[in-house]
Amino acid sequence: MKGFAPLFKKEIREQLKLYRLVIVLGVFLLFGLSSPLTLKYLPDILKMAGDQGMIIQLPTPTAAQSLASYAGDIGQIGALVAVLIAMGCIANELKSGTVVMTLSKPVSRSAFVSTKLIAMSLTFLVSMTIASLVCFAYTVWLIQGSAVLPFVGLNLMMGLFLVFCLAVTMLFSSLYKSSLAAGGIALGVIIVQGIISAIPVVGKYMPGKLLDWGTNLLTGSDKTYWWALGITIVGIGLCVYLSQRFLKNRDL
Amino acid sequence: MTAISTQGLSKYYGTVKALDNLNLEVPENAVFGFLGPNGAGKTTTVKLLTGFAHPTSGLAWVAGEKVGDGNLALQSKIGLLPDVPAFYDWMTGREFLHFVGELHSLPPVEIKKRTEELLELVELKKAGNRRTGGYSRGMRQRLGIAQALINRPKVLFLDEPTSALDPLGHREVLNLVLRLRENTTIFMSSHNLSDIERVCDMVGIIDKGKLITVSTVEALQKKYARSIFELEFMEDAGPFVESLKKIPWLAEPAIVTGNGAPMVRVRAIDIDRARKELPRVITESGLTLTRYELSLPSIEDIFMEIMTNGDKR
Repeated sequence: MKGFAPLFKKEIREQLKLYRLVIVLGVFLLFGLSSPLTLKYLPDILKMAGDQGMIIQLPTPTAAQSLASYAGDIGQIGALVAVLIAMGCIANELKSGTVVMTLSKPVSRSAFVSTKLIAMSLTFLVSMTIASLVCFAYTVWLIQGSAVLPFVGLNLMMGLFLVFCLAVTMLFSSLYKSSLAAGGIALGVIIVQGIISAIPVVGKYMPGKLLDWGTNLLTGSDKTYWWALGITIVGIGLCVYLSQRFLKNRDL
Repeated sequence: MTAISTQGLSKYYGTVKALDNLNLEVPENAVFGFLGPNGAGKTTTVKLLTGFAHPTSGLAWVAGEKVGDGNLALQSKIGLLPDVPAFYDWMTGREFLHFVGELHSLPPVEIKKRTEELLELVELKKAGNRRTGGYSRGMRQRLGIAQALINRPKVLFLDEPTSALDPLGHREVLNLVLRLRENTTIFMSSHNLSDIERVCDMVGIIDKGKLITVSTVEALQKKYARSIFELEFMEDAGPFVESLKKIPWLAEPAIVTGNGAPMVRVRAIDIDRARKELPRVITESGLTLTRYELSLPSIEDIFMEIMTNGDKR
């Protein structure tokens, strides 16, 4: 992994200079704040908006509902943001020619690829941690009653799923010079695995099941998806390996 | 010692032969000019020699390192200025050079020193703290040259190094090349013939992926010498031209007016005899000679002849 340290430093600076951390944090914070707020005040909002004669009975909101709603938003919108952030990570460098400038120095392809994924993952994990802390604090304040450990577990599952989305997008970014093509195909793959994850028998192998596992932790269900966890971790590694292979094998 | 060596290096894109069986030896500390029209295979050759393209067949060695298989030792011995240098737009010129120094694992003190030296050398010291995204094409070209030099490369590849430069920048880059030749082998691809003529001591001419000729500039000029004498006199040379018409080893004597004074041009049928006897003929004419020159062809003349007729000589 020759050149890892300077490349990693450059990638981290890029996350900050191009406002990627600010953007991802802003999106995640929006959901972290809105989930408990919406759940707490939805009955009041409906009361104010509805007809005088109409009565809508909503169950009393629970902390688990608030956190699960937040997790659902992050699982969907977070995956989309991951694709948008990662789709140009290599494709744009292939297109502009900066990849030649960098790789004409004594640095390995694996360092070039892995530092990108690690830096993007850190952006997402830091943003998610801050947004989750805010969501948790707001939930405790507005709705009360929440367990810390299941929420930590949920975040770990969400984090891993988002890293998987980043890795898949990066893989296609190493294949195409067009970031739109890379993003489009990656999004397609993520959607398809999401659909398959809803199918019995095969669904339990899909990375999307990690989100279900996280929600199960909140609701107290002990249903686990170890296959999905293993396949996600292997999938991330495979994406990194294939990305650097593609870069090695292609003419730049 | 050989700095660049290739054996049967070929690159095909489908049925298109971008480079066909290149056998080349470039000695150390030579400035090698790689000439050819657009699409001749110059950039493909640079990419193959720097490990950015995979050959269909053949082998290459640069600075003693075998090219290919992710040989990182090669990258630490070379410098590359691509045909269109690209930078991270959010970095300043100074930051980019610093980044490149780190990629070469240079010590921090050396990075700082080299960065300032090179910014000075390419005259970007004032613009060093500006983002590269705001640089002009010429500034990008000069920063591209600076980043290629940071590791003091043994072999420097310059792909069309003067393509985006104004006349002043153009001259500065060529002067820079001349200064670097003392310690570095330079492989310079260009279709700018006067650049090659000015700084290169070896030339390779390529067309349609095939190396047509490779030689020193002097040998090439000798080989393609046109055997034309140019003579200038203080007096009217009309009667002298008439006398030349009677000499069997000369042909087509004429008075021509170029940009300056009228001169006599005459082609030698037997160049060796003309070299020996023409000075005597001039002396006997009683005219005052102000210029006597056996005109050598320019690289442009040679290039045009090779492109038209091939290397038939």
